[in-house]
Amino acid sequence: MKAAGDFSRPKLGVLATALSLAAGAQAQAADENLPDLGSGASPWVADVYYENHTARRHDAGLAKFRNTLQLEADKQMGDGWAFRGILRGSWDGVYRLNRDEYGRGAGGPIELENTAAPLLPPVPTSAGTPLNRPLVPHGGGINNAIATAIGLPPTNAFGFDLAANPNDGMRVLGDRWHRTEGGVAFGVPVRPCDTDKRGCRDFGGYGDLKLSELEAPEFNDRLDFLREIYAKKTFPLADGTELFVKLGRQQVVWGRTDLFRVLDVINPIDYSRNNIYDELQDIRIPMWIAQAEYRMGASDVMQDRNVQVVWNFDKFRPNNLGQCGSPNVILDAGCFFRGMANLWDNGGTVANFAAVPPGTAGAWAATDFGPHQIGIRKVYLPEWSLSNTQLGVKYEGITKEGLAFSLNALTYRSQLPSLHAFSAGTVNPFTGGSGNTTPPADGVPVSRLIAFDVHYPRVNLIGGSLDFQIPDANAAIRMEAALTHGEEFQNTARRELFSENRVLRTVIGVDRPTFIPLISKTRATLISAQLFWQHIFDHERHDGPLGTVGIPDWEDNFIGTLLIKGFLAGDRVSPQLMMARDFRAKAFTIAPQIEWSVSDDFKVTLGANFKYANGDSHYKFDDTRSANPYPPFTTYTAAGQPFVPGSAGLEGLEPLGRFRAGPIGAAVAEDDIYVTIRYKF
Amino acid sequence: MTRYFAGRSLIALALACAAGTLHAATEADIDKSFFPYKSAVPTAAGVTAGTVINKGNFANFEAVLDPGLQRHIQAGAVEITVGKTTSFDIDKSYVDATRENAGKVKLGAKPGELVGYVAGRPFPEEPDAKDPRAGEKLAWNFRYGMNWGDGLAISPFYWKYRNMDSGKVERNILFNFHFIKYTHRLNQVPTPEISPNPSKLYRATYVNVQEPQDVKNTQLLIQRYEDDLKQDDAYLYLGFQRRVRRLSTGQTTDAFLGSDIMIEDFEGYNGRISDMTWKYKGTVNLLMPFYNHNDMKLSEEYKDPDGYKYVAFGGQGGCFPNITWQLRKVHIVESAPVDPNHPVSRRVHYMDAQTSAMSETLVYDRKGDLWKIFMLGMTHPDSHLAQNKGSGIVLFDAFSMIDVQAKHCTTGQFKGQADAKMVPVNLFNVQNMRGGN
Repeated sequence: MKAAGDFSRPKLGVLATALSLAAGAQAQAADENLPDLGSGASPWVADVYYENHTARRHDAGLAKFRNTLQLEADKQMGDGWAFRGILRGSWDGVYRLNRDEYGRGAGGPIELENTAAPLLPPVPTSAGTPLNRPLVPHGGGINNAIATAIGLPPTNAFGFDLAANPNDGMRVLGDRWHRTEGGVAFGVPVRPCDTDKRGCRDFGGYGDLKLSELEAPEFNDRLDFLREIYAKKTFPLADGTELFVKLGRQQVVWGRTDLFRVLDVINPIDYSRNNIYDELQDIRIPMWIAQAEYRMGASDVMQDRNVQVVWNFDKFRPNNLGQCGSPNVILDAGCFFRGMANLWDNGGTVANFAAVPPGTAGAWAATDFGPHQIGIRKVYLPEWSLSNTQLGVKYEGITKEGLAFSLNALTYRSQLPSLHAFSAGTVNPFTGGSGNTTPPADGVPVSRLIAFDVHYPRVNLIGGSLDFQIPDANAAIRMEAALTHGEEFQNTARRELFSENRVLRTVIGVDRPTFIPLISKTRATLISAQLFWQHIFDHERHDGPLGTVGIPDWEDNFIGTLLIKGFLAGDRVSPQLMMARDFRAKAFTIAPQIEWSVSDDFKVTLGANFKYANGDSHYKFDDTRSANPYPPFTTYTAAGQPFVPGSAGLEGLEPLGRFRAGPIGAAVAEDDIYVTIRYKF
Repeated sequence: MTRYFAGRSLIALALACAAGTLHAATEADIDKSFFPYKSAVPTAAGVTAGTVINKGNFANFEAVLDPGLQRHIQAGAVEITVGKTTSFDIDKSYVDATRENAGKVKLGAKPGELVGYVAGRPFPEEPDAKDPRAGEKLAWNFRYGMNWGDGLAISPFYWKYRNMDSGKVERNILFNFHFIKYTHRLNQVPTPEISPNPSKLYRATYVNVQEPQDVKNTQLLIQRYEDDLKQDDAYLYLGFQRRVRRLSTGQTTDAFLGSDIMIEDFEGYNGRISDMTWKYKGTVNLLMPFYNHNDMKLSEEYKDPDGYKYVAFGGQGGCFPNITWQLRKVHIVESAPVDPNHPVSRRVHYMDAQTSAMSETLVYDRKGDLWKIFMLGMTHPDSHLAQNKGSGIVLFDAFSMIDVQAKHCTTGQFKGQADAKMVPVNLFNVQNMRGGN
């Protein structure tokens, strides 16, 4: 016999666990002067879920064996307050089951391109191999002795300590999605940070994780196992309006889009979980937020009116782009960061770097940089302060004609890192000193040096959204637009290698239920299409002698998505096909999936995602090898570059091609098939 | 000038003919409409309380069985028990409003247009088979029927998807349904309307899914306009997406959450009058699923803390409510979609004359073959929860939508609660959906 509501009957053991896990939240609630959670007006209602997600990746083998236990608990606390908590803990066995790809045994010794090899002498390098090999090992590039031999001051600082930065546990930057093809590359440590500390930096939740933290990502110092924990209440006001408040760790969803975001930027995203392929609800990173809605209801001209204020008072967190060495590293950015950080700390070999001799097209020598010459030095994560909190306001309404719209404004911190080039405190590898001290460039300020600090700038956003239906077309239309001020983009035309640009993002989506007899005669198939447009204002591009200089991102780009989702057997079986096309990247993904609800409590999902790209030459962009920070040593053109630093535009796939490839193009070699089982206890 | 006025008169006459003329229903009409059993109840040979009609004797009762029910009795899928015919008196406020406004309402020029309606039953007079728009008038009586009153909640509301052959319950869904009227309100404050109401909404339905896991926290809001020519607005909040999606109107003819019922099937017909052509097909006495809830043998499957029990189901595949059936006066109305691409070719509604409830509906597919049978069990409110007693609201209490082609059914067990506190107007705002979890 089941009682009404038995579907959600509390389970005492689970409840005890929930209460013990929620102890921290209770403290937080007390801080917010919330009612005592233990003296509620109704019993706890809790659901417990287990999920296993197993994925196999082409060429990499097992790419995910994630086991998740999730508890969702609700309680009416009395006096109108309601509490909800979602506790999530997962353990991903991929790091042990496929340790040679993602765990302690990942990576190995590497070799890097050395396109100048035919022009180079067979002199021995620090790695013990001759310099004139087309592929040299890490440590096999131009070092102090070789540089001295070719005429640089003996004080030059080329070369690094291979004992501190050995050729092991490495992969070549970008090898997950492209070949070096004459561009720059370097070794990237890929093992967990408790196995290999090289290049580990905390980028705000990733980048410095040890094995156990990669395996169980929710159990960290931000207490991410408290996935959501909040209290809410609606206060009726005398004039019939309402004040709704919701306090705690939560997701606040703005916007009306799927897959990609325009307005929905309050919570950062954890792309390390499954790149862009998980539902946003599962990969938004909940933040401690106070939100209040003044629900005014109808007026003489509007059917509904609401003003929402969202105060994200949590300590800043950016998007989790994935730690290098883990299965999901969106844009391969985490690998670039880790490799660069290692270069700063320990130095390293950079493929195809030095123009020896200058001006010989296609001939660049692998070069061993020393510590503190190039790379990523420091990540400036905004500390908690009142001025670093984030604030949003939304007015949302429905006109009497039925047009639903919102007007949004948000001041927040960029959830993506911005790399600011600096020069003070760097070592000039050609002299061993600091800055330009060699005539005739003596005293010329160093700029465009590929040494970076990472910042998360403040961004201000204004935007809006609307939706309506077109009855004659049997379709619902949704639109969003957002204009941001403060976003930063890499820009090789600028001294600091970045510029601040305003950005307009828009999307139009069409949802149409369509009866497709081949799929079902009684249940409509959802066809949902979206077209995203991003425009970067004041987009800077110049033609240099060797290529284009400026912002690698496309000035205008379009991404189209198409979802076809069918429902069969009483919605217990749901096949779907999701496709996305990044037009300028010429990259495409198709993700078929079928869900089967075996019972009310047990669901099995089979799926795959395949990526395609039409070549990668269009991703190549000025890689700042030819940015000439240390004239006259860094001249790349036969005619010589002026002593005023500036990039000649020599291009390669790294490091900026990732911004042109986008999340689909940069994952082109990561075709996954997967099975997910989910059971509700 | 004379010709001019003559022309005007002809036009006026033509319009009047097209739109229907004012016809002041008499007191007798109204009495007959709301109290058809005051002097006598319908009778038919052998149809007495306690009679069991089954495969063996159905031929004796063909005259009082609708074709859908008869089909299943004949096939041995179910046997039914006759109950005593009783009056389901509608709330006095509704009857009084009908009296006060009698003769003020008429059909407009086009289907979906109604002129002069204030409250109560728009057309209480007996339908006239010679009136080409009699079916449309009955459709208006249904639309502006007492139905759920000014506001009511079904909470909880259990649905089961069943295989009729195997009897296997394939899926359980737990809902809460909430209904509110914005206009023509009679028995809950504020009356006669909720204001401001700039969109001129007539009615809204809010649905919240509690279980199972894959659709948990799905919410649906349907807003119907006073202007029947205006399309409904519908919004869907998907728990796994945490955002509201506007629905296109086409989804009202979609199998709702994979069940055998579409949104348009709710309550017998849940759409615009102007989307259909309506034909009155006659008035007969038929066995209808009207009963006293507390007198039924109820299910032990769910047990509410307040002791409330739900209607049990039996018969083939568990597709039939275990209730008694009353011999009642019924108007037969046929609706055919205007849209030639509609998945339904026509519906035949068996509308209870006293309550205007469409408690039996046959649905035909585009080929014209019988597709689905909808049974909507109605209980007297005085034989239900304490808060429903004396409400004068005839309560929907159990439903079954049987797909006779797929041999499949969806059943529903209601706990209807006529409690204004459960239907605050703010519940029916889109923002309320976003403010959830």
